[in-house]
This record gives sequence, C-alpha cells and structure tokens, in this order.
Amino acid sequence: MVMERRKTDVDLSVELFGRRLGTPLMPASGTLSKEAVGEVRGIYGAILPKTTTPRRRDGNPTPRIAETPAGMVNSIGLQNPGVEEFMKNLDDFDLGVPILVSVAGNTTDEFRELCEKVSADERVFAVELNLSCPNVEHGGLTFCAGPSSVEEVVSACRKVSGKPLSAKLTFEGVVGNAVAAESAGADALTVMNTIPALTVDADARRVLVKGGLSGPAIKPVAMRAVYDVSAAVDVPVIASGGVSTGLDVAEFMMAGAAAAQVGTASFVRDPEDILGEFEGYLRKHGISASDLIGDLRDSESASGVHEG
Amino acid sequence: MKFHTVEIEGIETLGRYVLLHYRWEGSIEPGQFTMARAAGYPTTFDPFLARPFSFYDYDGETASLLFEVRGRGTQLLAEATERIEASRPLGKGFRVDGVAGRAVLLGGGVGVAPFKFLSRRLYELGVEHDVALGFEDEGVAGVAGDFPGAKVATMDGSFGVRGTVLDAVGDLSEYSAIYACGPNAMLAAVKRAANGAKICQLSVEERMGCGNGSCNGCVVPTERGYVRSCIEGPVFDAEVLAW
Repeated sequence: MVMERRKTDVDLSVELFGRRLGTPLMPASGTLSKEAVGEVRGIYGAILPKTTTPRRRDGNPTPRIAETPAGMVNSIGLQNPGVEEFMKNLDDFDLGVPILVSVAGNTTDEFRELCEKVSADERVFAVELNLSCPNVEHGGLTFCAGPSSVEEVVSACRKVSGKPLSAKLTFEGVVGNAVAAESAGADALTVMNTIPALTVDADARRVLVKGGLSGPAIKPVAMRAVYDVSAAVDVPVIASGGVSTGLDVAEFMMAGAAAAQVGTASFVRDPEDILGEFEGYLRKHGISASDLIGDLRDSESASGVHEG
Repeated sequence: MKFHTVEIEGIETLGRYVLLHYRWEGSIEPGQFTMARAAGYPTTFDPFLARPFSFYDYDGETASLLFEVRGRGTQLLAEATERIEASRPLGKGFRVDGVAGRAVLLGGGVGVAPFKFLSRRLYELGVEHDVALGFEDEGVAGVAGDFPGAKVATMDGSFGVRGTVLDAVGDLSEYSAIYACGPNAMLAAVKRAANGAKICQLSVEERMGCGNGSCNGCVVPTERGYVRSCIEGPVFDAEVLAW
C-alpha cells in the first residue's frame, strides 16, 4: 500500500487478510465522518465508516453523549441512511487504503442479506459484523449474548460472503464468543465494543445518557479482552477500546492484536500524533510494527499472572 | 481532531461571563465555533472532551470566546493563564448576503456569544441592525455593556424590561433578517414570532463530542431527520428545524 505520509525509516506496516496495511491503525466504527476523513489520510492503514443497517435509522433523541472521566458515554442509536444510500456514498471514504464495512441487522437474516450485499461490492475489502446490536428474535438480547447466537449469525454471513469477516464482540463472554465466531468461519475478531454505562443528571434527578462507555477509561478492560481472546483463537484480533496513544497501540499489539482501531480518542487528539508516538516507540526499540504482535505473550506465557 | 496550542492575550469578566482572548491567524466567519479546552493529552484526559464555543469576536488577529463557567471544562478555561488548545474554526456561520433592509440579532443568555462578531460583520457590510438580549437576571447582564444601544430584558426584571428577549425587541415584522442564538425553547419561540421573515437564522446550542461530524452527538431534528449541528450548523435556516 502506497502511503502519502512522510517518509520514515520505521516499518509501520502490518498484514491483515493477506493485504499489507501501511499502518496498523483504522477508525473504530462510528467515529470518523466523511467530513473528517481527510484528516487521517496517510495515518490510517484502513478505513471503516459508521455501521450501516438494512434500512435508514434516525437514531436516538438527544442528549446522546455525556462526558465521563477519561471517556464518554454515547447512545447514538446507529443513525445511518441505510445500506443503499451508504453504498452510493462509499467513495467518500476512499483514501486509497482498504475499506472495511461495518454492518448490523436486527435478525440473522438481515445480517446475511446485508453482508451479501456489501460483500458483492469490489470496493469493500472486508466486513465487520457489529454483533452488539439487539437481536429482535431473541427478546432484544444482543447477538453477543452467547456463543450459539454468535455462531448462528457468523455462519449465515460466512455462507454468502467471500470477503474477510471480522466479528465485533462486546466484553461480556468475549472469549467464548470469539471461539464460536472463529469456528463459524470468522477471519478476525474485533475486540471489543463500548461497555454498558449510565450517566446521571443529579440536579434534574434523571438519567442523562444510558449507553456505552468508550475512551481511555476502558483501555485496561479491552487490553484484558484482547489478551485473553488472542490466546484462545488463531485468527487475527483487531483491538478496539480506549486506544488513545501510540503506546496504547504498541501495548494492544503486544497483547496479541494485529491492528488497532482508534475511536473516541480521535475526537480529542490528532490521529497523526498517535501514529507518531507509535513510530517513536518502534524506533526506540529498533523493531517493526509486526514484530510486536503477541510479543507480550511470548515473554509471559507460562506465568499464569493473567488468571482471574 | 487536531488542536492548536494558542496564546492567551487576556481574560476578563463580563458580569457572570468570562471573555477569553487568544491569538489566531486565519479566516473565521461569524457563527462559526471552535472546540476549546484548557489542556489536552498528555496533561489530562479529564475533562475528556473539548467544549464548543461560538466566536464572540475576531479582528483578524485576536479571537474571543464568551462563556459561563458551568463545569470543570469551563472552570479550567477560565483559570488558564498562558495558553489553551483550540481547534480550527468549525461549522457553518451566518448567511449575511442578501439582507435587504434592517436586521436584528437576538441573544438569549450566553447565546449572545456570536453576535459581537456578527454585528461587526454587518456593520462592515453596511447592514443596519438592532441587538436585543435576554438574560435570567442582572448578574449576567454585564455583557450587555459590550453592546451599546442593545435592548435588554431580564426574566426577573432586575435589568431592562421584564421578560424574554422577544419582549425586549417587540415587533419583529419590521426586520428583513433575524438572527438568533440561545436555548432551544427561545429559538423555537423566535421561529414562531418570525413567521414570514425572509431571512431567519438560528444558531443552536448542542452538547458536542468531536466537532467534526464524527460522533453524531450534537444532532438537531429537521424535516429530513436528525442532522449534525457541528457540520450542517450550528447556524440553520429556521424553516429547516423541526421545532
């Protein structure tokens, strides 16, 4: 992949699904608008626009976001114009790097149809299955509710897609769900999503935002999830959850991640600074990005310190 | 989002509000805003998000932000001494072309913020205009002193006429352009009162996460669904808003 970024003597590239990505960074779903995409040119090794759904979704009323210490809680409600409109405008995200498309359905059938549709488009490099949304056929539990549910939707998508599939999992039950997704044919796992959270307006004595917590506050939780999942599966893990600094990227890769998604941090930092810090870390240690992957495990594999 | 470290040129108090001046070179349009914070990483991740502020004024060298201390983010900004961090100017500002007649600027509370700058621009364009401001009480009316000739109302009657900004301004029908900024309830009232005005533009105040359209947090309802106030706004034609 040709990078337009400044020349560097450090090899920042990683391999994902047989493609060489210029850097291990990509956006987490729902955190990079088409208006802001120019700001990450040459910084991200792949692009991933906001989750699309079979039909247009208006999203939730405001307030949709609330600040928390070192993070924020959001409840956007997957606002998006629907897959037809989304695919029409996919070129807005063309930076000359691979495009992953995040999809979410209300049912397994919806997931399958959506996955088939986007997989058929040659501009789509890979598909991320957003399994954190409610499964209306199972009483509103998410598709991440358990291994059988994960297996069902991943299998269904696998049958209709020739593109690499990454199952995006929530923290709860992440290892069992990861194993299920892998056995159902997932090519990668995106670990993890936001964590269920609540913020309160004390003066008004009412709920401010009930949604998902993101940002640096959840990084150690995501780190644990990436570490545990990488030990349990053979497919690549894409880290997501609190990635906010170049050192975070290095840590997640050591914990087993093949790539890292920058989400909420991109609201408060310039992603170029994150990549610069990552590059600085690699230079300091005289290594390439891909040297890092799983390196933490290699040195501590027998210690058992990660139990319980 | 890229933040720029900018030099503070001064901080003053206008009644209950804080007016912060910093050095900025570049183009800014009245009605645009910046995401600002006292310090960013690595100094702090708490407060985590920057805050959106309309530009109170800009003369080509000094940009000014008017705000009320409401939480830690604004408290730290008010206490800043040498520099803060600010994004580039963001969003769509006021449409000032095609004003054929007198204009009026209606500010509610800290919603007065974009009107010093807009007033400056209208003056440069030769557009005659009035300013009307509404506040809770005299504690915040200090800023009115920065708008000589402005009609002022306070809810408790402690300064100017008693009532809202609409009580202060009176009949809107004489104006060919109406610009308003303030709480949503006030903007909705302005929209109703402005019925038929050729230009009626409202600057909304929404909670924002990123400022560059990415987080979808700052939406406002329109006829075609929710739209992001940081990208399509913060200034909207009144008829677009589904209030």
